[in-house]
Amino acid sequence: MRAIFKRELRSYFSSPIGYVCVAVLLALFGFYYAMVMNSRSSSYITSVYGTMFIWCMMIVPILTMRSMSEDRRNKTDQALLTAPVGVTGIVMGKFLACVSVFGIALLGSLLPALVISFVSSLNWVTVLGTVFGALLYGGAMISIGVFISSLTQSQIISAIGTFAASMFLLIVDQLSGSVSNAVIAKLIGWISFNSRYTPFTTGVFNVSSIVFFLSVAAVFLFFTARRLESRRWN
Amino acid sequence: MIEVKDLTKRYGSKTVLSHVSFTVEEGTILGFLGPNGAGKSTTMNIITGYLSASGGEVTVDGQNILDYPNEVKKKIGYLPELPPLYLDMTVKEYLNFMYELKKVSLPREKHIKEICALVKIEDVYSRLIGNLSKGYRQRVGIAQALLGNPPVLILDEPTVGLDPKQIIEIRNLIKKLGDNHTVILSSHILSEVQAVCERILVINQGRIVADGSPDTLSHQMTGNHKLLVRLEGRETELKQGLKTLHKVKEVQPLGEKEPGVFEFTVEGEPGADLRRDLFALASRKGWPILSLRTNDLTLEEVFLRLTDGQAAAAQKEGESA
Repeated sequence: MRAIFKRELRSYFSSPIGYVCVAVLLALFGFYYAMVMNSRSSSYITSVYGTMFIWCMMIVPILTMRSMSEDRRNKTDQALLTAPVGVTGIVMGKFLACVSVFGIALLGSLLPALVISFVSSLNWVTVLGTVFGALLYGGAMISIGVFISSLTQSQIISAIGTFAASMFLLIVDQLSGSVSNAVIAKLIGWISFNSRYTPFTTGVFNVSSIVFFLSVAAVFLFFTARRLESRRWN
Repeated sequence: MIEVKDLTKRYGSKTVLSHVSFTVEEGTILGFLGPNGAGKSTTMNIITGYLSASGGEVTVDGQNILDYPNEVKKKIGYLPELPPLYLDMTVKEYLNFMYELKKVSLPREKHIKEICALVKIEDVYSRLIGNLSKGYRQRVGIAQALLGNPPVLILDEPTVGLDPKQIIEIRNLIKKLGDNHTVILSSHILSEVQAVCERILVINQGRIVADGSPDTLSHQMTGNHKLLVRLEGRETELKQGLKTLHKVKEVQPLGEKEPGVFEFTVEGEPGADLRRDLFALASRKGWPILSLRTNDLTLEEVFLRLTDGQAAAAQKEGESA
């Protein structure tokens, strides 16, 4: 698993993908931050971080699109699957590499907060809570992306699929309001990533949310491993 | 060393391997021979654990790959049809990655250096794999299979895409490896298998159609012992004389090849060796023997006969069904 993790992480930064993802995320975030700071005051910094996850979702499909598809297309999966590593190890290595790139981008996004903290008092708990929440949200999203990527050899389909999934999860809250059936509405509310994420933006360390995101990640990583395994059978 | 029992693989309703069984002794170089799509790669993919069989089992050193996946995979070095190379890595990075992936415990730098020297890729060691020629890529693929010095090597068409000089180098390398490894290699090039392998499995349409050393294989297929002989004398006399030989089945004149010299094929009964009797007859009658050779099939003919026969049989089966 360590070998795969190291290789994946290196390949993100030996190709432009890693840099582009981090740069795009930081640029979008910085632009938004600058706009808000321009028209309002530094006390709004926490709400800037609160909406950060929307930007995060932009890069997840790009990060995950190649993770499984590329190996299958280039037949390098033959090296991985015939090596003495379990499928779980392979999937975890790839997942953790994606999460690391994502984490690096999030770390970079702390810069504006650092700058603000020099000139005004800053609620670090809220900021760090938000970033932590974004990491969890992103981790769950990445696991979904990795799974979608294992379904296809095409990176484009993989990216679009993950993008659609993340969009769906973003707007699912609005859907629950427009559905009259109580059961379905509740179901939709239950799968809403957004509502699980919101507590973190107010500095609340919500254990049930943490468990939720970790479970989602675990489930989709499990699916991905099974998907790899099942390919051997047909 | 490797035992394959009753291996069957189906994709939906299409059967690509049906009841393939064979064993490979330690230290043998086994050649898999068959036309494209015969099931060679599928068999190799199953042995290495990349694919699962629909039926049957594979054991390496007595261990089943399903029960001991990691142990068995550690014993096998695999070069798939398309070398599994990451084009965005240098040879050095790639081999180090594979070293870690395979959990090799030999001294890292020394081991990788040795392998590079063996397959002659030292001069491209720090270049990007994506920039290497096909021949070098193939060698890097072989290098990764050798990492960890596994006792079993499975090489799927190892010389495909190489130039003639490289082909000879790789063949020599495989022969050398065969001294202390069990090697299975596949090919659809007969001369290659003939040059390298001690034993050949001919596989066609998912079935094993022949198994043996290159020599016995061509001997077996000829069926009856056939001689091709050139004698000097009068044609009718020669023909009559040959027919009187003990255990002769058929004499076929092939015409006058040189002035006063006639060629015949002489077919004996199964198991009969006519050469000594023929010599005695010729010397008694005073016919000089100008050439005499057994008319066994070349491996090429064997191969064609086997694969064609199978195709025809399968077609018949299909029609009657």
